[in-house]
Amino acid sequence: MKMAYRWLAILLALGLSLGATPATAAGDFAEQKIVLQISDPNPFKQTLVLNVANNILKYYGPDRVALEIVAFGPGLRLLFKENSNKGRIKSLVDNGVRFSACKNTIRGMTKKLGHPPALNPYAKKVPAGVVRIVELMDKGYKLIKP
Amino acid sequence: MKKKFTKTLIAGSVALLLGGAGEQAQAVNWLKMQGTQPPGSSGRARVWGFIQPEYQSTDDTKLKAGPWKGQKAVFNQSRPDLKTNSGFNILRARVGVRGTAMPLDSNVDYFFLAEFGNNGITRQGGGSVKLTDASITLNHIKGMRVRIGQFKTPGSEEGLKAIHVFDYINFTNGANQLLLERFFDGDGSTSKTSAADINKPNGPVGAFRDVGIQLFDWFYTGNWEHTYALMVGNGNGITRGDNDNNRELYLYWASELLFSGSGVSAGQSVVSSADHHGPRGARYQAWKLYGWYQDSKRTLTRENPGEYDRTRYGVGTTYRKGKLRAEAEYIVAKGMIFNGTDGGAVPGARNNAGTAYADYNVTTDGKADAWYVDFGYLVTPQVELDARYDTLNRNTQSSTAERRFTTLTLGAQYFFNKKSRFIINYEMRDAEAPGLPSSAVPNQILDSIDNRLSGQLLLIF
Repeated sequence: MKMAYRWLAILLALGLSLGATPATAAGDFAEQKIVLQISDPNPFKQTLVLNVANNILKYYGPDRVALEIVAFGPGLRLLFKENSNKGRIKSLVDNGVRFSACKNTIRGMTKKLGHPPALNPYAKKVPAGVVRIVELMDKGYKLIKP
Repeated sequence: MKKKFTKTLIAGSVALLLGGAGEQAQAVNWLKMQGTQPPGSSGRARVWGFIQPEYQSTDDTKLKAGPWKGQKAVFNQSRPDLKTNSGFNILRARVGVRGTAMPLDSNVDYFFLAEFGNNGITRQGGGSVKLTDASITLNHIKGMRVRIGQFKTPGSEEGLKAIHVFDYINFTNGANQLLLERFFDGDGSTSKTSAADINKPNGPVGAFRDVGIQLFDWFYTGNWEHTYALMVGNGNGITRGDNDNNRELYLYWASELLFSGSGVSAGQSVVSSADHHGPRGARYQAWKLYGWYQDSKRTLTRENPGEYDRTRYGVGTTYRKGKLRAEAEYIVAKGMIFNGTDGGAVPGARNNAGTAYADYNVTTDGKADAWYVDFGYLVTPQVELDARYDTLNRNTQSSTAERRFTTLTLGAQYFFNKKSRFIINYEMRDAEAPGLPSSAVPNQILDSIDNRLSGQLLLIF
């Protein structure tokens, strides 16, 4: 019986770890882990953060860097479904870049708009953008805010 | 000026043809660029504008024949005041704001622009500062955007193109006389005995704009971007309401093949206007084919008062790849043909006999056609050489009334940076009455036309 409980505990731990949000698609084998923050209303910052992401991929190579862009506050507009940068976002996603959208901001924008904003299908919702950044930094990610 | 150059200006300009980084007008979807904002990445309000000071000069050859013989020729005077053959002028100085009213909602865009310069917009019809653009665009309906207000009408590339990326200083004869509309109360057919009574514009030039409502959108098939527009406007110029019950109808279609590097993937087949501005902005290589049509009536209230048809239509093409760009357009006009001034004189000038004052004229039932070809070559990233040949055949319905204007323009552009450039143009101008002998008075008058040298500085902010 003790052995059964032991195996059950192991299986449970395995199951929980598999269900957790992975820090990187490539696991922990990336040479560099970088999180980019976009929270600015300035439309120019949208172009800038995508340019920075592109430059990072170019330098390290897509399979050697774990890169995530976290959008919150006015910066969430980057992840609107019809954003004019969606082509570039798709291209970055194809190279392993992840995009996170802050649910707190989504709630606030929903109140202003009267309906939830339509988001880019590649955007993954996270409970809070800043919390996501903190979590990633705890996992060794370096924060860059262009 | 037919034989001479303003040596100092030329020398100074040549000295500038070294160095820099340039932005050029390429094949562009002007309806998209002017009427909408990039969704999701546009600010609430972006202040922008441009300044175009210029210098123009001719030899000031006087009229060689006719009732105003020996006096200033209107076609040799500098715009818009027509008082001198040379001089500096702040041709355009515009300030505007554009953006998305509420950044969270990309479905409502606006565009506002005002003119402070000295030109046919501000000098005619009284007043000084004039509104050139004030519009709201609603992007709610897939496949049909709605733009309401005062804005550029869908039509000729010369008119539709943003003026601050125009490759030349002066319009072609066809655009200037057939499309850049002057609005009159009469047709100038009767002699005037007072300068105050002459037939002159009753408001600003049309500036290729109208007040109305436009339905438009674009979609993709493969590497082709197709754009349509349908507009209904007052047909009475800018900054004022309509003067009759006749609305102007505008129709437009363009198909543009986007070349590699344009931001559109081969095989893309999207029947949607979702790809808004995309990564291309106003700089991409493409080949565009377009056609347009405008139709309305104009109402005269004096000198043959009544309603007269005014129809314009044209087809054209633009091309840019690598260092080469090329454009061509053919325009047809029926009705309300601008017919210059009496005797080629400056409007309001008294004839030598002292019996009449020079009028502006309009041929209400006239016909005309015009075409141009235009080439540009980017010698270095900072320097472009341009050449344009244009022809206008005016009043082709009558062999004796027909007038032909041809101009070969040689130009160069030096780009200081993406936002500023210097343009120099030398226009070799010719005009004739092809249906009359060379000794006829109209041909002698038209022989007075000079070549013209122009220089213009542009700054966009």
